[in-house]
Amino acid sequence: MSRGVLVTGADAPIGERFVRALLADPSVGRVLAVGSRPLDEAMPFEDERRLTYLSVNLTRERRVHELLFGPARDLGVEVVVHTAMGGSAAEQGKAVHAMNVSATRDLLALCERHPTIKTFVLRSYAEVYQVQADLPVLIGEDHPLNLSPNAPQYVRDRVEADLHACVRMGLSPLRIVVLRCAEVLAPGTGSQLFDYLESPVCLRPIGYDPMLNVLSAKDVVEAMRMAVHVQEQGVFNVPGFDTLPLSLCIQKWGRLAIPVPGAWMTPLYRWRRQLRGHDFSYGMNRRRFHYSGVLDGRRARTVLGYTPGAPIDWPGLG
Amino acid sequence: MSLSLDLARLFAERVLPAEEVERLKGLRYADAGHGYDAFGLHPDMVKLGEALLGPVYDKYFRVTSYGCAEAIPVTGPAVIAPNHSGALPIDGAMIWLDVLRHTSPPRIARAVADHFVPMLPLIGTFFARGGMVGGSRGNARTLLEAGELLLIFPEGVPGISKAFKDRYRLQDWRVGHVELAIRHGAPVIPVGVVGPEEQMPQVGRIPIQFAGAPFIPVTVPPFPMPVHYHIHYGAPIRTDRDYRPEHADDPAAVREAAARVKAAVQALLDKGVAERPGIFA
Repeated sequence: MSRGVLVTGADAPIGERFVRALLADPSVGRVLAVGSRPLDEAMPFEDERRLTYLSVNLTRERRVHELLFGPARDLGVEVVVHTAMGGSAAEQGKAVHAMNVSATRDLLALCERHPTIKTFVLRSYAEVYQVQADLPVLIGEDHPLNLSPNAPQYVRDRVEADLHACVRMGLSPLRIVVLRCAEVLAPGTGSQLFDYLESPVCLRPIGYDPMLNVLSAKDVVEAMRMAVHVQEQGVFNVPGFDTLPLSLCIQKWGRLAIPVPGAWMTPLYRWRRQLRGHDFSYGMNRRRFHYSGVLDGRRARTVLGYTPGAPIDWPGLG
Repeated sequence: MSLSLDLARLFAERVLPAEEVERLKGLRYADAGHGYDAFGLHPDMVKLGEALLGPVYDKYFRVTSYGCAEAIPVTGPAVIAPNHSGALPIDGAMIWLDVLRHTSPPRIARAVADHFVPMLPLIGTFFARGGMVGGSRGNARTLLEAGELLLIFPEGVPGISKAFKDRYRLQDWRVGHVELAIRHGAPVIPVGVVGPEEQMPQVGRIPIQFAGAPFIPVTVPPFPMPVHYHIHYGAPIRTDRDYRPEHADDPAAVREAAARVKAAVQALLDKGVAERPGIFA
């Protein structure tokens, strides 16, 4: 029998693409798409019998309870894929924390006592990992996490949500799957690198050219789709097709890279943020602009069957 | 293709003999998709490295190599374990080039550097393009699993910063290289490098951290002298055959294997020093 899937964050670009991928997958039954916006504002889905869209504030536990023990139970939802998380590093405060962390915790706790839900998939982020000179370049799932109290809320929230899901593995009756996805180089995904590349001139610290790995929207959706069907729980890195140095990334995006002293980077990008309203924070990315960090996707390949296959559609030459 | 890579390739093809450029086309590495491996190695930068280091190797240090082709396996994981000396890691660069030149198809000795090296601007990046990796266990493990050739200096920083009076006396010999070799079924190739121990006699050190380096060495003269390098490769120590992978967790077995490697390196040094006609000859 085909399984029903509930998707949170369905009104964000990745969530929307994922819902479409599920609808195209004949082995998936009903799809319950949950977003924060009303349907008419959310996404131009064509009339699809297998799709139900609901606008739910996930920070309100009562609303989440009603969602899970109402429509989700009635539709026979077996898998919850949680992708809803604040998209911008500029978003801070209690409300953002409630969305990023408390909503994840509440959702997971309710799923654990749900009569039909068997699998909980958390779309997590490579930003949870620590990147520094004395750590391996190839980042496995056991790589140290960024637990610095000085990390920005964007990172701390993601680490907390990720760890909460990991802690419940084995204790929970659910099959819990955590996908630590490389940075999705696409608009509307909260990608710091995408915002960085928005400028025609990209500054980078002189003398450093670290290796990066970036993921396409198509591949992250494919990894999440595979996670819906996986029979094992665990943490899986989801790398992208493109592994390249920062300088080449800038060049392939059609931008001009100008190396500047590292000490200039923070104030220059702070001014850019303040004057132009950009999201990119150099302080948040300083280490990965110095030291290489590339996700190791071997576990996802062997267990999920995921291999990155969709390169970034680089707009620049070369 | 980036401008720097284009320039690197053009320069290398202009400087290197045509047959060497052709031979280097046989370089094997794990291209992660854009011409670089995951650690940042790029074959054009390897060619540039040979083009830049070639005159230093041939003319300045007049390197003589003994037994490289016989000792280095054609394929598969292996660990090169030499003595370390000379205030600057020129011995590592010379071994890197020596292995590149004397292996067929050419192999890249992936130098495992101390943690501070990747932190050095320009140098860290340039070395990474030539195959160096930071000294974390995870990096070494990944490379050995991929069948690569590692270059590990078991003496570490205490070796390169040893006092002149301690030349050709191996310092505290760490055991990580044999532990990795045993765990991953790789032989260890002992190497004795004669020459660099006298290239920059160290007379003191300034205890100031500079660019991540733990101190600034005081040497006389402040530049490397044109000593004659002799690189002696010993018979591989078959840590892949003499030990089982579970021995990597046996401290006694690991210490014994490390002692075998240290003794082999010391023997190569003693022989090399005794047989050379002179420091500069």
